[in-house]
Amino acid sequence: MAQVEFIQVGKSYGETGAVHNVNLTVDDSEFLVLLGPSGCGKSTLLKMVAGLEDVTAGEIRIDGRVVNYVKPGDRNVAMVFQNYALYPHMTVQENIGFPLKMTKVPKDQIRERVTRTAAILGLDGLLDRRPEQLSGGQRQRVALARSIIREPAVFLMDEPLSNLDAQLRVQTREELLKLHERLQTTTIYVTHDQIEAMTMGHRIVVMRSGVVQQVGRPQDVYDNPANTFVAAFLGSPRINLQTGKLDGATFGGDGFVVPLNSKLAGAASAVTAGSDVALGVRPEDIEVRVGAVEASGDKIALDGVVSLVEPVGSDLYVRAQTGNVDWMARTEARLPVEPGQAVTLVLNLEHAHLFGEDGRNLAS
Amino acid sequence: MVETHFPELDATVPPPPRRGILSTASLYKLAIYIILIVAAFIAMVPFGYVVSTSLKSTMSLFAYPPDWLPDEPTLDNYRNLIDRYPFWRWLMNSAIVAGSVTLIKLVVDSMAGYAFAKMRFPGKEPLFLLVLISLMVPFAALLIPTFIIVRELGLLNTYWGLILPGLASPIGIFMMRQFIESLPSDLENAARLDGCSEFQIYRRVILPLIKPGLVVLGVFTFMTQWTSYLWPLVAATKPQMATLTVGARSLTSDFTQDWGLNSAAAVLSMLPMILVFIFLQRYFIAGSIAGALKE
Ligand SMILES: Nc1ncnc2c1ncn2[C@@H]1O[C@H](COP(=O)(O)OP(=O)(O)O)[C@@H](O)[C@H]1O
Ligand SMILES: [Mg+2]
Repeated sequence: MAQVEFIQVGKSYGETGAVHNVNLTVDDSEFLVLLGPSGCGKSTLLKMVAGLEDVTAGEIRIDGRVVNYVKPGDRNVAMVFQNYALYPHMTVQENIGFPLKMTKVPKDQIRERVTRTAAILGLDGLLDRRPEQLSGGQRQRVALARSIIREPAVFLMDEPLSNLDAQLRVQTREELLKLHERLQTTTIYVTHDQIEAMTMGHRIVVMRSGVVQQVGRPQDVYDNPANTFVAAFLGSPRINLQTGKLDGATFGGDGFVVPLNSKLAGAASAVTAGSDVALGVRPEDIEVRVGAVEASGDKIALDGVVSLVEPVGSDLYVRAQTGNVDWMARTEARLPVEPGQAVTLVLNLEHAHLFGEDGRNLAS
Repeated sequence: MVETHFPELDATVPPPPRRGILSTASLYKLAIYIILIVAAFIAMVPFGYVVSTSLKSTMSLFAYPPDWLPDEPTLDNYRNLIDRYPFWRWLMNSAIVAGSVTLIKLVVDSMAGYAFAKMRFPGKEPLFLLVLISLMVPFAALLIPTFIIVRELGLLNTYWGLILPGLASPIGIFMMRQFIESLPSDLENAARLDGCSEFQIYRRVILPLIKPGLVVLGVFTFMTQWTSYLWPLVAATKPQMATLTVGARSLTSDFTQDWGLNSAAAVLSMLPMILVFIFLQRYFIAGSIAGALKE
């Protein structure tokens, strides 16, 4: 059990910086997810905790102890790698037992703990196989077993599910959470997959170009994105971001006007009238109606013409044009609309956002 | 204890389709085999002739047309070689030199290869460039400077004098670096987190994984050393320090040329190489195929 603290942590490779000024505390027993697009520095941050990369600025503390110069093997952390990094020349048994062997645990104890760990992960029958004789899911479990056998203070996982097929990924996601529930080990989990992040993380940390954008509980981050990047990165289909100008209590977009509700008007008061801003409305907050609709409360009606209809089974994605811009709406699956049809878009502004010129959420 | 369970989705592999015995594919294979057999036969002829010569008495040597299978095979040449010359001593010298060079080179080259492939240290690039440059200097150009160095060190006519220069060939370092570089870095990272020291990573993770490369390097080195002639000729002037190649050459004096004796020496000196090949063939072929290591 341990707490991990990042204090003004930075990493640069020569001139170029990969991670900038990260300040973060991972609580004891927390499952924290680092989320961001490829190349944003997630792995680098993780490797710094592991001791596989030097920390070039700031401090990393594990349970209060500064570990910047502690050897990886002495940090009491375990890591699951994206492609598992199983030792190809060792059997499953030897792979799982390797960390114990290296820390000079007596042989009979190793055997016993390997058996126990293998049982937890359902690897009982596979102990004498080599990694090449295992399926992707099995390899993944061996990698997990190898990391939990030492009962480390911190688990680090670098996109551990990305090499599994979709179905197995969902199952393994649940299993990982169960495992965490049971072991209560502080976990830092890296992914570029927003669904994984939303479903698994107690808190998520959204990163971009080496800079932390936002930290918070998944739903909070989703509901109150700190900036346009976070807003656009979470949610599928992407949030509708329309640029325009503020004019008193209305938002003037390209060929359409949206009167602001009280929440947005409050946010808008943070900037001067006439500023460039962006209005963000998530697709699920847009209703598509056939025929005219009265605006009421948070709901704003806009006339539009359907340009694209994408059925995904459970929902229908409808793209419609208003003025000179497109809106993406996520509506009920069997809505009878087709391209070219005139519809009314009902924007629910209750969860909408206004972002300033610099991309920051005006409400925050 | 709650048992977690991960169901797996293994696809079953269908058996390969059967082919007719005389399909085009197998005819093609047959043609290839015939060509290879002919080529192998041609390659074997001189070898066979040496073996056959070594079994002939001096008289029957110059019969024309040459008889391939001597009428009265004799081991006289072998007896002669062993009784009248320090043949066993030469063999031992060769074995000591070739064996030591091979073993030491495997250790040094794989360590250096690991450092060049995976470790970060100042001066790594220029150092490696230096290794590459030395690859391009022919040994003949180094012969005299090497001789002077070894003489000044007082190592002429010693085993070390024969062994040390053989260790300095950079091709092994280069080869090991290429092999090790192809291993995913996360393997070392995993080992580091599992508590391995740098040496343990080398010993327990890297070495086992480059075994095919080590075998190839080992066989090549052993072969090169076993057949090397120039350096032992200048570095070992005393008969008891002669290696097989130098010893065999000394069988030919200015006046006589005993072909039977020479052939017997040739056959005996080939034997260890053949044994090495037979035992290591499996690895050797596996290792020669590039990319055999990729997971
Ligand atoms: N060894 C390295 N040398 C130079 N740049 C690197 C090195 N490793 C990573 N980087 C750079 O650091 C940035 C972050 O990389 P990484 O942490 O792997 O991203 P992520 O895991 O989020 O995809 C990238 O721009 C990458 O190019
Ligand atoms: Mg990564």
